[in-house]
Amino acid sequence: MSRFIAKPDLQPTAVAAGKKLLANDYQFGFSYPTANYAFVAQPGLSQQVVEQISEFKTEPAWLRASRLQALTEFERKLMPAWGADLSGIDFKSFHYYLRPTDVVAKTWQDVPADVKKTFDRLGIPEAERGVLAGVKAQYDSEVVYGSLKKTWADDGVIFLSMDEAIKQHPDLVREYFGKLISHQDNKFAALNGAVWSGGSFVYVPKGVHVKMPLQTYFRINSANAGQFERTLIIVDEGASVHYVEGCFTAGTLITTRVGIKPIEQVTEADLVLSHTGSWRAINQTQVRSYDGKLYTVTVTGQPSVGIQATVEHPFLVVRRKYLNERNQIWSTAWQPVSSLKPKDYVCSPIDRTVNDFETQNIEIPMGRGRHGFKLETVTVPTTADFFRLAGFYLAEGSISDEHYLSFSFNEAERDYIEDVKNLIQKIFGKVSLAESHHLKNHGTSVVVSSTKLARIFKIWFGAGCDHKQIPEWMLQADLAKQAQLILGWYWGDGSFYSKQLKHGFKEMFRLCTTSEKLAWQMRQLLLRQDIATSMNVRSRRHEGRRTMFTLVVGGEAAVKFGDLVGQPIKATLHYKKRATAFYIDDKYFYAPIKSIEIDTVKNVPVYNFSVQTDESYVAGGVAVHNCTAPNFSASSLHSAVVEIFVKAGARCQYTTIQNWYQNVYNLVTKRACVEREGEMIWTDFNMGSKVTMKYPGFILAGEGAKGEVLSMALAGAGQHQDTGAKAVHLAPHTSSTIISKSISKAGGRTSYRGLVHIGPKAHHSKNTVVCDALLVDDLSRTDTYPVEKIFTNLVEVQHEATVSKIGDDQLFYLMSRGLDETTARKLIVNGFVADLVRKLPLEYAVEMNRLIDMEMEGSVG
Amino acid sequence: MKLSSPTQGISSLLSLQHLTVKVGEKTILHDLSMDFAPGSFHVILGPNGSGKSTLASFLAGHPDYVAATDSQVTFGGQNLLSLSADQRSRAGLFLAFQQPVMVPGLRVLNFLWLTYQRRFSDAATRPQKTIVAFRDYLKTLAVDLDLKPELIDRGLHEGFSGGEKKRLEVLQLMVLQPKLAILDEIDSGLDVDALKLTAAALHRLQNEIGTTILLITHHQQIVRTFKPDQVRVLIQGKLVASGDMNLLEQIEAEGFNSFKTLATEVS
Repeated sequence: MSRFIAKPDLQPTAVAAGKKLLANDYQFGFSYPTANYAFVAQPGLSQQVVEQISEFKTEPAWLRASRLQALTEFERKLMPAWGADLSGIDFKSFHYYLRPTDVVAKTWQDVPADVKKTFDRLGIPEAERGVLAGVKAQYDSEVVYGSLKKTWADDGVIFLSMDEAIKQHPDLVREYFGKLISHQDNKFAALNGAVWSGGSFVYVPKGVHVKMPLQTYFRINSANAGQFERTLIIVDEGASVHYVEGCFTAGTLITTRVGIKPIEQVTEADLVLSHTGSWRAINQTQVRSYDGKLYTVTVTGQPSVGIQATVEHPFLVVRRKYLNERNQIWSTAWQPVSSLKPKDYVCSPIDRTVNDFETQNIEIPMGRGRHGFKLETVTVPTTADFFRLAGFYLAEGSISDEHYLSFSFNEAERDYIEDVKNLIQKIFGKVSLAESHHLKNHGTSVVVSSTKLARIFKIWFGAGCDHKQIPEWMLQADLAKQAQLILGWYWGDGSFYSKQLKHGFKEMFRLCTTSEKLAWQMRQLLLRQDIATSMNVRSRRHEGRRTMFTLVVGGEAAVKFGDLVGQPIKATLHYKKRATAFYIDDKYFYAPIKSIEIDTVKNVPVYNFSVQTDESYVAGGVAVHNCTAPNFSASSLHSAVVEIFVKAGARCQYTTIQNWYQNVYNLVTKRACVEREGEMIWTDFNMGSKVTMKYPGFILAGEGAKGEVLSMALAGAGQHQDTGAKAVHLAPHTSSTIISKSISKAGGRTSYRGLVHIGPKAHHSKNTVVCDALLVDDLSRTDTYPVEKIFTNLVEVQHEATVSKIGDDQLFYLMSRGLDETTARKLIVNGFVADLVRKLPLEYAVEMNRLIDMEMEGSVG
Repeated sequence: MKLSSPTQGISSLLSLQHLTVKVGEKTILHDLSMDFAPGSFHVILGPNGSGKSTLASFLAGHPDYVAATDSQVTFGGQNLLSLSADQRSRAGLFLAFQQPVMVPGLRVLNFLWLTYQRRFSDAATRPQKTIVAFRDYLKTLAVDLDLKPELIDRGLHEGFSGGEKKRLEVLQLMVLQPKLAILDEIDSGLDVDALKLTAAALHRLQNEIGTTILLITHHQQIVRTFKPDQVRVLIQGKLVASGDMNLLEQIEAEGFNSFKTLATEVS
C-alpha cells in the first residue's frame, strides 16, 4: 500500500467544479408548488428584502438592526479568495425567504392540510403521541411543526425554532445570539445574519442530561432557494446534550431506528429500509395533485393498514404461480400496483447485518436533587444471559421509584423465578435481591434494589408496558443472543395455543405485547431467525384497556420457533407438513396480498419519497419503488450558522450528516466556546454537494476544556469538499483532537484545511491532528492545508497526515478471494473510514456505510 | 491455437500447455507444459528469481502477467485465461500469497464471510448458515492452526506478524475449500510446528474434498514435511526436471546448481 506524507500545496487550482453533473434520472420530478406559499421573497438581496423578512417575522428592533448591519457587512466583504471555487454562485438569483404558512404552527391542528399530509406521510404526528423524543421539522425556511417531550420541558430544556425562542425567551437569545460568530466573521456568516430563518434554539439547564439526541430534518423544496438556518445551543454547567442534524437536500431525512415499520409510523426514524435490506436515506418527498385510480393493498399477516398507491406505483413482488399452492421459485420483480392480483406476494426486506458487541457502555445519571446528576459510565457484558434477562424484562419487568427493578411472575413459575435470580447474579454479581409475594393474585416478584440497574433497564428497554422496546444495539446482535432475548420474552409473554376445531387441530405460538414498537421489532428479529409471524392488532378500548399486538407463529415457522424456545412440536399436523402462506429467504420475507381495493379519486395530493441508491422504501411493511423526484437544475445555497456555548463541566456533541444534491453550495460556519472542563465534539460528515466549505471550530476558553472534531468528506465528479477544523486554545491544560478522513473519486477533490492556535496562556495544552486521505483513482485530488500558530512552549502538538491510494495489490488480493472489483473497492473504502464511522450512533454508522457503498458503485478507477 | 490431447483434458484439473508468460516485454516463463491431476500434491522448487511466484500470480489472474498467444491453460476443462481473478476464485482456484496484503479497517470476519458466501453461493447447501455460526467455525479453524482466534475481529492483516499472516492464508484456504490450492512460499515466516500443522491441514483437504495442491518454494528442506506426489524444478522460467521424491534427494545432494546447466541446455 503506497502511503506517503502529504505536502501542503499552497497553490490551489480550481477544478472544473460542477461542470458535469451526474446524469440525473429525475426529469419527471414533482415539487410542491410554491404558489401557495404565504410569502415568497423576490429573488435577490436588498435592504427591502431583509426588512420584509424581519417584518413578516414581527421581530424586535434589535434583531432588525442586526439583520441590516449584517447586510452591510455582507455587501462590504469580498468573496473568500481561498478554498473552493465559488464563482458559480449568483447571489441575485436566489429567493432568500420562502414562507409556506401564514402562522407558525403551534400544534398539529394548526398545520395547513397540504403540508400536514406530507408530514403525515413522514409520520410526524406520531411525535405528538409522545413516541418521539423531540423533532423539529423544517419545511423550507420555516419550522412548521415541532414537538418536545414533556419530561424535558419539566427539566427546563428548551428546544424551539429560533423564531419561537426569540418570542418566548428574548433575553436569553439576545445574550448569546451572534456573540460567537459575528457578522464580521465572514461573508457567508454575514449573509446568514441578514436573511436567516428557521433553525433551532436549544437550552439545557445546569446539570440536565438530555439522553436522546435532539434531531432536526431539513428540506429545500424549491429551486433557487436558499437555506439559511441559524442554530444556537447553550449547554449550561454540568449539563449534556447530543444534537443531530440530518440535512438532506430537497427532502426530509427519515431513518427508521427500529427496523421495518409502516410508513405512517416512521417518526423517530432516520433511514428507511430499502428493498435490498439496506438502510437508505430519503432524498426528497414529493407532492402532486392526482386524478385517477387509487389502489389500497392489504397484506396477509399484517395489521390491516393497507398501502395506498397510484396506478403506476411499482411494488416489489413475486407473481403467484398456482392459486392454491405456495410458490416454489421466488424471483422478484418491480410491478405496477395496477397489475397486482390478490395472492401475489409482496416482499419485505430483512436486515441480516450482524454487528455484535461483547460489552456495551451506558451512561446513566446517578444522584439527584440539589447536587444534580453525575453521569456514570457502566459497562454491561452483553452476553446471551443478558439477552435472556432482557427478554424477561420486556415481558415481566418494571421499574418502581427509579430504584427498584422487578420481574413479576405467577408463583407457580418457579423455574423462571430461579432463572431470573441466577441470571441477575451471574451478570451483575452481588446485588440486593429479594422475592416479594403477593398473596392476593398468587404473584411472586423478583426485586432488585439498585438504582443503577433500574436506570440501565429503563434507558435501554423502556419503562411501562406499552413503552417497552429493544435498544438499537441489540437489533443487529448475534443471532444466538437474539434467540435468548426471544426466549426470555416468550417465557414471559408467550404461549402455545392448541385448539380442536371441527376439521382438526389449530396450533400456534402466540406472543403478546401492548408496545407497538416492541411488536414490530420482535417481528423483525424473528425474521432474522427465519421465523415468519402474523401480526394481529386488537383494540381493547371498549374494555378500557390498551391495544394488544400479538405475533402469531404458525405452520413450519412454529416448528422452528418450538425448537428455538425449547418446546419442540411435531413437524407434521394431521399427517401433513405444517405450512404457512409465507416464505423467507436470505433477502426477503414474502407475504401474499390479501386484498386490493380501487377507488377513483379527484384532485387528491399524493406523496412519494425519493430514496438514496435503491429508490425504494418499505411502505406498510412491503417494498415499494419510488416514482420520481424533483430536479432543480439551478444551484442552491446552504449557508448556516451554528453557535454553541458549552459552560463549565458541560458536554455537547453536534453530529451532522449531509448528503446534499450535486448543485448545492454548502457554506457553513460552526463554532463553539468551551469553558472550564467542558467538552465539545463535532462529528461532521459531508457528501453530495457541489462545494462544501466548512470548518467546525471551538474556542477552549476555560482551563481543562476539551474539543474534538471528527470529520469525513467524500468528493466525487465535479465536487470539492473543502473541510477541516479550527482549534483555538486560550486556557491552560486544554486539549483538542482533530481527525479528518477524506475520500476522493472520479476526479473529485478533497482538502483538509485546519487551524490550530495555542495562545500564550494555554500552557500544558495538547493538540493532535490526524488527517488521512484516500484516493480512489488517478483522476482525483487531495490536499492538506494545516496552519499552526503556537505562542507557548509548554505544549504537545502532533500532526500526522497520510495519503493512500487504493493499490492494485489490495484489489488483486481481495479479487483473488472471489470478490468483484466494485465490491473490493467498497471494502477498502469502508475499511478506511471504519474507525471514524464506529464513533457514530449505530444507525448513522450503518447509514454512512451504505452511503459510501452507494458512492463507490460503478466508480471503477 | 493448439488443442490439448484428450487424455490431458480428462485426467487433469489444471493443464498448462506451452505456457509462455510475459510482464511487459520481458518473458518470465518459457513454454511450460504441466498437468495436475485432481487430488494430487505437487511441489515446484526453484531458486530465487526462477519465475515461481510469477507462475502462482499468473494462475490466480494477476493482470500484470500476460500469456503468449499460443499458450493454453485449462482449469476443470474451461479456459482459465478468459477468467478474471475473482471468477477464477469462484471457480475453485486459490492462491496463498507470499506476501499477504493489508487492508486497514476491513474486519477479517466480515471479509471472510463475504468471500465464503461468494464461493458457496447457494445458501441452502452452505454448511455455515449465519455469520455467527461462521465465526465459531473460523475460531475452531484458527485454533487448529495455532492462530489467535481474536485476530479474526481485527482489520485484515493489520498488525499481524509474518507468521500470523501466513496462518491466516491457510485458514482462508480451509474456509474456501478450493479445487486447486496454490501456496506461494508458505514456509516463509512459519516455524517447523506451524509447517506441520499446515501440512496436516492440506492433507485433510486433499483427502476430504480432493483438493489438488501446488506448493511453491525454494526451500527443499521443507518439502518432506508435505510428502508430495510430484516434484518439479523451475529454473530461469524453464521446467528443468520433473519426478517424485527421489528428485528431492538429488537436489539435497547437489543443490540447484546441477540443474542450472540444464536450464541453459533447454533454452
